[in-house]
Amino acid sequence: MKRALLLLLPLLMVVGCKGPKKMTQYNEVYKERPSTIYIAPISDRSERHPMRTLDDSLYNASLNTATKQLFLTASDPLVFNGYYVLGPLASAQLAATETRTGKQLRNDNINDYYTELGIDAVLFITLYSWSETSSSWSADIEYVLRSTRTGNEVMHVFVKASKQLPTDFKGNPKPLGADLDFAAKYGCDLETAQRCRLVEIVNQFVLRDLPSGSRSRGNAVERYVVSHPEYFNLNINPSGGVELLKSNEN
Amino acid sequence: MKTGTYTGKIQLMFRVGRCLILNSLFVMMFISCTGQYKGMPREEVLAYHTYSTYGELYALAQAYAESINAAVKADTLHPGMYADYGVVLAQMGHREAACRMLNAEMLAFPESRGQVMRVKQSLLPELMGNEQADRTADTAQLARWAYDSISALRPLTAVASVIDSSDREWISQQTPTDSVEIPIRLTANQKREMLLQEQTEAERLRKAREDSVAAAKQAKLDARKQVKADKEKAKKQKVKAKKQADKEKKRLDKQRQKERKRQAAEKEAQRKQNVKGGGK
Repeated sequence: MKRALLLLLPLLMVVGCKGPKKMTQYNEVYKERPSTIYIAPISDRSERHPMRTLDDSLYNASLNTATKQLFLTASDPLVFNGYYVLGPLASAQLAATETRTGKQLRNDNINDYYTELGIDAVLFITLYSWSETSSSWSADIEYVLRSTRTGNEVMHVFVKASKQLPTDFKGNPKPLGADLDFAAKYGCDLETAQRCRLVEIVNQFVLRDLPSGSRSRGNAVERYVVSHPEYFNLNINPSGGVELLKSNEN
Repeated sequence: MKTGTYTGKIQLMFRVGRCLILNSLFVMMFISCTGQYKGMPREEVLAYHTYSTYGELYALAQAYAESINAAVKADTLHPGMYADYGVVLAQMGHREAACRMLNAEMLAFPESRGQVMRVKQSLLPELMGNEQADRTADTAQLARWAYDSISALRPLTAVASVIDSSDREWISQQTPTDSVEIPIRLTANQKREMLLQEQTEAERLRKAREDSVAAAKQAKLDARKQVKADKEKAKKQKVKAKKQADKEKKRLDKQRQKERKRQAAEKEAQRKQNVKGGGK
């Protein structure tokens, strides 16, 4: 009996550690079956430095660029999953015609997006804060997908993402090759590159987990695949790998 | 026994060769796939969002045209590409071309109709209602046309300092007025310098603003000091006037007392005189 229990214990632990299935996690998405998603402008609540020195303004510019990158890279994973998403420039133009504030859009009735624009769901991304040490960068980001037909939140994910840099033998952080490539390609400094790559990876990790679009073949097939929890910590380790560290399911 | 080893070696060589051929086939397939399909030109979009110069806009238009061309060839069109290209063309002033691209988006992705119509209404209100024009055109034709339309602007790729004479001629032909906008594709260093210049300018403005605020504060303090001094002066004057008045009052009192004494003495003298006169 004891041996049987000892054998069952690791199995139970493994089963317990597994996340929820997509069918339960994205139950509302399966019910609503959205096919067109509109990405609302990013709500950036991260703190900026008061503009006293040149470093402060460069720091603020770096945060602004990272926010832009967060907006620009949000559409790719959704498109990959089979949703129709308007491009970033056209989306920005569409947002310019909107008279309501971001908070109003987030809380009020947005049924007109369905009736007038044919949008099934609106994705709201909120960037709460940035924090960094010499060898790590972290950001708190919230993703909310609201149905335009019913006004329900069909997806709600909060991520605390952090990125660790490898260190040399003296303990000083050294940038990853991919970050250096990004900085060279986009013509930005290394700090901005770190932030941009972090938000890009988080976007990919969170939004690729959504069920495939209702018109895609994978929509029904992947119902029993394990999905990410609602709240989790995401760690990008020094070798560039992504791991889900801790999850507090509600 | 010998024959067996030879057979084994041949089999091994055959297996290795097969693996190599299969691997090279996979690599070739992968390279061919990645070479054909270009996704959204994110580099250019981010650069345009960050710096917003005409040069970046022009580079963005080129990148979109090339991406659309490549995507149509590979038969994997990214949603929203035509719409984005339309927005870019509208910002560059090519309104007809922008209209065609927005119509192409609606044609390729019918679910985008509501959103694209709203974008079109905001950018090109005068061209609303001509969506039927491109209904017959296929997306490949439109992509070719998009590519050609942007290729026609090719001579505008020079940096201002190294424009050769032919480019200058072309620019002078294209724009009859003197105000020629030359798109410049900035390098990373130039972008950084531009940003630094902007920051320095912002710093200078901030300092000037701080100085003016400090000057205003000082002026306010000075005014307050002046008011205080004026009040002090008025108070002193009041005290002085009071003292003066007191002094005057005392003097008058003394005078009146003297007068009263004199009058009393006169009266006394008169009374005495009257008494003497009565006695006589």
